[in-house]
Amino acid sequence: MIKIKYENVVKQFPGSDHLAVDNLNMEVHEGEICILVGPSGCGKTTSMKMTNRIFEHTSGHIYIDGVDNRDINPIELRLGIGYVIQEIGLFPHMTIADNVATVLVEKKWPKNKIHQRVEEMLNLVGLDPEIYSKRRPSGLSGGQRQRVGVARALASDPPVMLMDEPFGAVDPITRARLQNEFLRLQEQMKKTIIFVTHDIDEAIKMGDRIAVMRYGQLVQYATPDDLLSMPANDFVSSLVGGNRSIKRLNLIKVEDIDLYRPPEVAEGDSKTKVVEAVAGDKLGVALVVDDRGKLVGTVTNTDLKRKGEYVKDIYAPAHDLVGPKSTLRDTLSIMLGYGEGYALAVDQEGKPRGAVSVDDIFSAVKDNE
Amino acid sequence: MNQTLWDFFITRQDLLLELILEHVGIVLLAVAIAIVIGVTLGLLSSYYSALASIILPFTQIMMTVPSIALLALFIPIFGTGFLNGLIGLVIYSLLPIVRNTYIGIKEIDKGIIEAAQGMGMSERRILLKVKIPLALPVILAGVRTATVMITGIAAIVSAVGAGGLGELIFRGIARTYRDMIIAGTILISLLGIAADYGLKAAERSLTKQQS
Amino acid sequence: MNRRNLIWIIVSFLLSVATIFYFVNYPGGKMAARLLNFETITKAYQQHILMVFVASAAAIIVSVSLGILITRPFFSKWASIVDNIVNIAQTIPSLAILALFFTYLGRGFSTAIFALWLYALLPILRNTSAGIQNISPGIIESARGMGMSNLHILTRIELPLALPVIMGGIRTSVVITVGAAALASFIGAGGLGDLIVTGLSVSRNTLVVAGGILSALLAIFLDQVLDLIEDSLRIR
Ligand SMILES: Nc1ncnc2c1ncn2[C@@H]1O[C@H](COP(=O)(O)OP(=O)(O)OP(=O)(O)O)[C@@H](O)[C@H]1O
Ligand SMILES: [Mg+2]
Repeated sequence: MIKIKYENVVKQFPGSDHLAVDNLNMEVHEGEICILVGPSGCGKTTSMKMTNRIFEHTSGHIYIDGVDNRDINPIELRLGIGYVIQEIGLFPHMTIADNVATVLVEKKWPKNKIHQRVEEMLNLVGLDPEIYSKRRPSGLSGGQRQRVGVARALASDPPVMLMDEPFGAVDPITRARLQNEFLRLQEQMKKTIIFVTHDIDEAIKMGDRIAVMRYGQLVQYATPDDLLSMPANDFVSSLVGGNRSIKRLNLIKVEDIDLYRPPEVAEGDSKTKVVEAVAGDKLGVALVVDDRGKLVGTVTNTDLKRKGEYVKDIYAPAHDLVGPKSTLRDTLSIMLGYGEGYALAVDQEGKPRGAVSVDDIFSAVKDNE
Repeated sequence: MNQTLWDFFITRQDLLLELILEHVGIVLLAVAIAIVIGVTLGLLSSYYSALASIILPFTQIMMTVPSIALLALFIPIFGTGFLNGLIGLVIYSLLPIVRNTYIGIKEIDKGIIEAAQGMGMSERRILLKVKIPLALPVILAGVRTATVMITGIAAIVSAVGAGGLGELIFRGIARTYRDMIIAGTILISLLGIAADYGLKAAERSLTKQQS
Repeated sequence: MNRRNLIWIIVSFLLSVATIFYFVNYPGGKMAARLLNFETITKAYQQHILMVFVASAAAIIVSVSLGILITRPFFSKWASIVDNIVNIAQTIPSLAILALFFTYLGRGFSTAIFALWLYALLPILRNTSAGIQNISPGIIESARGMGMSNLHILTRIELPLALPVIMGGIRTSVVITVGAAALASFIGAGGLGDLIVTGLSVSRNTLVVAGGILSALLAIFLDQVLDLIEDSLRIR
């Protein structure tokens, strides 16, 4: 099903002698993330903003569900499209709850329904409503603001989302986490998303399809896989970069590969038991889980030197875990930072799924080529 | 411009010239004194924060005092005449100059000061060779604000007998002489606009020199 | 709540009361005593405050509306023209405006109010337009992108965000108006300036000083009250 269709779309800003968008033809499929990527000034933002008529296109047509967007009242059009921009644009004078409620208020939802929905949305993006609803944007970290931006855009459950570098303003680690969470949400939501970025790694990781733009023109529109293996021209190959095997790591998620499982011990187990487990493991590590089965730490030979009768006295707390949506690229960075030759993977609930080793990454890339 | 107003400018040019000179004179003198006092106070405030926490709010409060009230308060001390008007104008010019000197110095990049210290410059040399030159555009902006402001306020010092173009307005009210009032208004505004543009140009050329 | 504001508000109020009592008890001569009594001083206050209140209230209504109007995209070309007019108009002394209106409308209270109103427009107009224009474009665009109507963008985003700045303009304007109203006595509009102006013409220092102190304290009092309000509106 085609959700959004660009047909010979041209945009020339008044007083400008070149075309910001030059004859764009593109179809965005329902439930997919379409990434617009390309160098600065190539027309990504402009293309996106014409979709909800923040900018009016000079000629051509943009169809949403087969209806020309010029035939839809702009307010109505926008109420049906979620919108997140790079500067996030949270309203500084409103509380987080009021920010998230914006579209719902515009749509005249009843108060109690709004309240309920706002709590639901904040929980969805991992912000405790108890703590955050009454705060103002200035009381939040950059990453938390981005989450609010996403929650606000999702609040009215619009079928289409426009996102302009939504994770642009945060550090790489937070960005990776936000990306993973967003992919997990998208798996359930199945929204049609136009997502602007100029980070090719983000594009490969997030996109179902990637539109590479340059000088206002669409250079290639393909799946990440095809983009990597069959770049349309030199420009695309240079954008994708020399080291394509590394880029390919962005395509594979931890959940896509089989994992080796080191032995597990409970916090309350005795030291003798864990000594045995560590000795018998090929990576020399035992995973420590709490009574709910969550991974809380690890024991290696170094930890065994510590004094203590029980596992809980000696284990090293777990950090830098990877989730099912983490890419092998993220995993590799964590592994290098960790210095262990492997990274530990957990599932949604934080239960151990296994260890990803450098060998796993190599063989996954080989299979994939 | 209507005929009678034009005639007024022509026939009274001697009076007008005299009043303009008086007006410009008292403003320039007041600003000159205010620069000496204001920059000194601003510099001292930048060194002694206790002083800053007294002087800055005090000058701020003085700004809200209506000009006619301030001039009135000095009458028992200085009587009527030029001195009273001059002191009133100096006080109004102080705030922008003190505040801008203080801010201009405080906003200098810490790294620059440290570099100067690291090169073994004495505090006196740092002040003269680094701080004041770097703060100068900001200080000059304060001088501009002060000058434009007291050019207008100087119209009121005529009420306490300190002369200037305000004479035209007060005499105009006394005789219901519209052309006289308009002439005074136009001349005062022109002086204000001229001061604004002149000092802006000075600021600009200074910034250009520095960059 | 800002302690310094509160202290100034209380001090200026108490000092005013003390000043009134002092000068009523020690008017410094029979002639001055004719003006330095509770009745006359109360009346001077009434006139002064009424002038400031009417002129400021009318100026707020007109300037805020005008400021909203010139920041609509349709009038965007006008905004800088209005800015320039305001800048030049502010070099005209308040005394001159009073004097000019006096030659057209004659002596009196209503002439003064009209002149004060016109003069009070400037800072509020400038701050309203600056307050709205300085809102970061990303905020307005998000609001538009989420489907907010233009009216809601104005009432729920632009005005609340510009409010502290507008309030700052109102404060400046009120302080200027208190000072200008003290000059309104020269065109026969009464107010606290009467004490000063009469005192100057009959050379009675007690009158001049009483008028000076009371109008100064009134300006400080209102300035601090408005500062307190401005502060409470600031977005943190
Ligand atoms: N409002 C505007 N008025 C005039 N020209 C504009 C406007 N917005 C964008 N342009 C021009 O249109 C072209 C495309 O800009 P656009 O913002 O779409 O680039 P982009 O691909 O999003 O770049 P970036 O990665 O830097 O955000 C640029 O040449 C830009 O200068
Ligand atoms: Mg962009």
